[in-house]
Amino acid sequence: MMNLAIYLHIPFCRRRCNYCSFVSSAGREYEIPSYVDALIREIQLTRREDTLITSIYMGGGTPSLLEPSMIDRILSAIRENYSIFSSVEVTIEANPGTIDGKYLAALSLAGINRLSLGFQSLDDDELCFLGRLHSSADALDSIKFAKQAGFDNISLDFIYGIPRRALADWKDMLKNVVTFAMPHLSLYPLTVEEGTPLWEVREQPDEDQTAVEYELACDVLERAGYRHYEISNWAFHGFESRHNLGYWTGGTYLGLGPGAHSYLNGTRWANTSDLDEYLKSLSRGELPKLTLDPIDGRAQLTEAIMLGLRLDCGISIDETSSHFGIDFLEEFGTEISELKRLVLVEVSDGRLKLTPKGRLLGNEVFLRFCP
Amino acid sequence: MKQQKIRNFCIIAHIDHGKSTLADRLIEITGALRPEEMNEQVMDSMELERERGITIKAKAIRLNYTDASGECYLLDLIDTPGHVDFSYEVSRTLAACEGAVLVIDVTQGIQAQTLANVYLAMEHDLEIIPVLNKIDLPGAEPDRVVGEVKSVLGYSGESVLKISAKTGSGVSGLLDAIVSRIPPPHGNESATIRALIFDSHYDRYKGVIAYLRIVDGSIKRGDRLSLMAAGTELEVLEAGYFNPRECPVEILQTGEVGYIATGLKQVGDCPVGDTVTSAVSPAGKPLPGYRPAKPMVFAGIYPTQANDYHELREAMEKLKLNDASLTYEPENSPLMGHGFRCGFLGLLHMDIVYERLEREFGLSLVVTSPGVEYKVSESSGEKITVINPSDMPPVNEIALIEEPWVRVGIISPAAYIGPIMELVRSSGGSHLNTHFLGDSSIVEGSQRVQLDYDMPLRTILTTFYDKLKSRTRGYASMDYEFEGYRETRLVKIDVLVNEEVVDAFSRIVPPEEAQQAGRLLVQKLREVIPRQLFVVPIQAAVGGRILARTDIAAKRKDVLAKCYGGDVTRKRKLLEKQKEGKKKMKNIGRVEVPKEAFLSLLKLEL
Repeated sequence: MMNLAIYLHIPFCRRRCNYCSFVSSAGREYEIPSYVDALIREIQLTRREDTLITSIYMGGGTPSLLEPSMIDRILSAIRENYSIFSSVEVTIEANPGTIDGKYLAALSLAGINRLSLGFQSLDDDELCFLGRLHSSADALDSIKFAKQAGFDNISLDFIYGIPRRALADWKDMLKNVVTFAMPHLSLYPLTVEEGTPLWEVREQPDEDQTAVEYELACDVLERAGYRHYEISNWAFHGFESRHNLGYWTGGTYLGLGPGAHSYLNGTRWANTSDLDEYLKSLSRGELPKLTLDPIDGRAQLTEAIMLGLRLDCGISIDETSSHFGIDFLEEFGTEISELKRLVLVEVSDGRLKLTPKGRLLGNEVFLRFCP
Repeated sequence: MKQQKIRNFCIIAHIDHGKSTLADRLIEITGALRPEEMNEQVMDSMELERERGITIKAKAIRLNYTDASGECYLLDLIDTPGHVDFSYEVSRTLAACEGAVLVIDVTQGIQAQTLANVYLAMEHDLEIIPVLNKIDLPGAEPDRVVGEVKSVLGYSGESVLKISAKTGSGVSGLLDAIVSRIPPPHGNESATIRALIFDSHYDRYKGVIAYLRIVDGSIKRGDRLSLMAAGTELEVLEAGYFNPRECPVEILQTGEVGYIATGLKQVGDCPVGDTVTSAVSPAGKPLPGYRPAKPMVFAGIYPTQANDYHELREAMEKLKLNDASLTYEPENSPLMGHGFRCGFLGLLHMDIVYERLEREFGLSLVVTSPGVEYKVSESSGEKITVINPSDMPPVNEIALIEEPWVRVGIISPAAYIGPIMELVRSSGGSHLNTHFLGDSSIVEGSQRVQLDYDMPLRTILTTFYDKLKSRTRGYASMDYEFEGYRETRLVKIDVLVNEEVVDAFSRIVPPEEAQQAGRLLVQKLREVIPRQLFVVPIQAAVGGRILARTDIAAKRKDVLAKCYGGDVTRKRKLLEKQKEGKKKMKNIGRVEVPKEAFLSLLKLEL
């Protein structure tokens, strides 16, 4: 049996955030019921008997716009068409302000056992700047609701590098965050991409500010007992996201929903990101595949390095060598010694890892392993 | 065709005054091309020419014209490059003609470049037909411009034609004027062959195609000919005229314009201005006016990727086949790697060569700041010429430096005399004379003036022309010619990137400007060099003395913060692209410099 992770994309939002470039649409919530039918159809069409599902992740968009009964139907469909690992990790992304204790209790009953809450900030002005619909009070409430509903595996998302934020404010916020003692945290820098409202206002994050905030976060969170297990992720021991670890260690995954990507047997493919097309092709009983991208050996090697180095444990030199049939140190000797000189990587216990400086300059490291 | 029925002429015009449109109209009216063969700017066949609206290579076309009385004439129209960089080529084209049509945009008036070419035409005793073009436009000021033509060129108002090349109005009248006013050639038909080469190009199958004006005698296929200055001997593989493509004929006769295919391998073997004569019984005297092309402006050209050097060399060789005035020699720079020090006729020529190398040969190149040829007398008594700033000896070894000066002619509305004077003075120029054009009764300020200056060529190389344009709201036009060498005081500013001297960034300036120039150089580099993985100090120095210093802070953050299942492929491709981008940068020691940095430094006014 091959391990498989399933990602389910829920492309609906009350409104789009000012920085969002994901596949999602606002104002089409009335289509959620037919969307759930389509998603269940896709689950049935992709049915496999040779795999064991180790994690399920519902991302968005705003998955918490779905009724608990819908989520229950989706998860049941997966159980009917796939074999499920006994301690499967089932995550849902939820936005504060869209959930309450009753809702979360129903999710728990449906089989969800991990919550990823999109906090982004604890400052109402910043939440407003980002275009979020919730307030910091909603955020605090959502923790309370989650605990009441019995969730103990909870992750919070935050954004750093918000323009004009004083470092002292960020520090206060971090200190506040660690008092919640949530077992998992994800911190992402604000990225302003073309086509988003923030791009229009031309407020670009400052490189130095972003770097300083990141370094401060590393420091504060480490002292609070978090393991910095991936470039943007921190967790208490045993609470690392199993689903995401799969991505970074070259695991196979099946992505369902518009714009979702899958990676299986050396091929990566994407579903159409157009919701109408997605609904249409499933109503005809066809899979909404759009692109098919075979990943050749060299590309797999690049990916293994660029993904593996994201983790604090890095990549095993011996395993990489034998898996790809190369002498890793011979192949990349020049690059590695240059990167060591620049203090961007280190080799210890037979593993190549990013240094703390290298984590902020990951691209400079990764691209040296590109063909 | 009897010489009596031949008219050889060219069109002189400022850029955008309508030369190409007029040529199109003449071709159309005389039926030289069928309508389906016509496209706009028939004569400008090079992509660059069409884009920029300029003529780089001379071209010719034969027109058959029958006048109202039924007489048939053969008109050879030669299209010339108009830019000062190519003034020698222009002078050879003029020497191949008996007349010139002077096209003046009636909304603009006479421009400096036009005037320079008109004077050249007058020197060659050409019959000039002044034509005011664009009379259909609302901004036309025929009276003012006729006044200018009268006062500057001494033509009576009646001899000035008014046309619209765009609509065709007045163009047939122009054809009659060409026939009636331009004299026919008067060569000696029975003398031994003498023909003037006014341009050439290289053809893969036929070798060098030389563009000729037959002055005496005639040329047939198979004739054994020689070039009187270059000494080259050749056999005529084909003779013909232009339509504007090559059309072979049996014989090219006295007075005609056409071409011969020579089988020669390099246009340099067939220099513009040389005289073609019989190899068997050569003429006693060559035609006057030959001089070898001499580059005036020098710059280094380097591939951004060191291993493209061989491709660059091949591209240079190929370009040289068609461009006798381009010179190049290999140059090694410890930091820039292998490249070439190239000599150009002027800045436009440099621009064109650079663009053609990148476009036609797919190369990624950097160009260093353009400079001139200095004559340096060393304290030891030795005399050297310096075309690369890095070869400039240390100050204490220099007894004397001489630099080239040019005579600059500027025409502008009189209202801008002040700003122009100011600009020239700050560029080290000296005023020669001021000459008002046209009727002084015209509203004050709009009257135009010709200003003549002597200036160091060095100071007009980079931004002078742009500044002139901006200070005169685009009204001024400019022309220059080499005047001579003069003694000067100059120092070399070295730029150090990460503690190493980058010879490509060196500049030669007057000592009193060194401080300011050094500061501007380091500021600009700080803007254009992206942050590296380490702090990069940028310094400017004269000798060992640091004039200015700044640091480029180290890069702090460059990482894909989110990388989940959805976009592994996309992010891998982004990384691959980022790596490709790095390859396009020029490594100076450990510092990666984008080639745009070289360009922006080149354009930097000091």
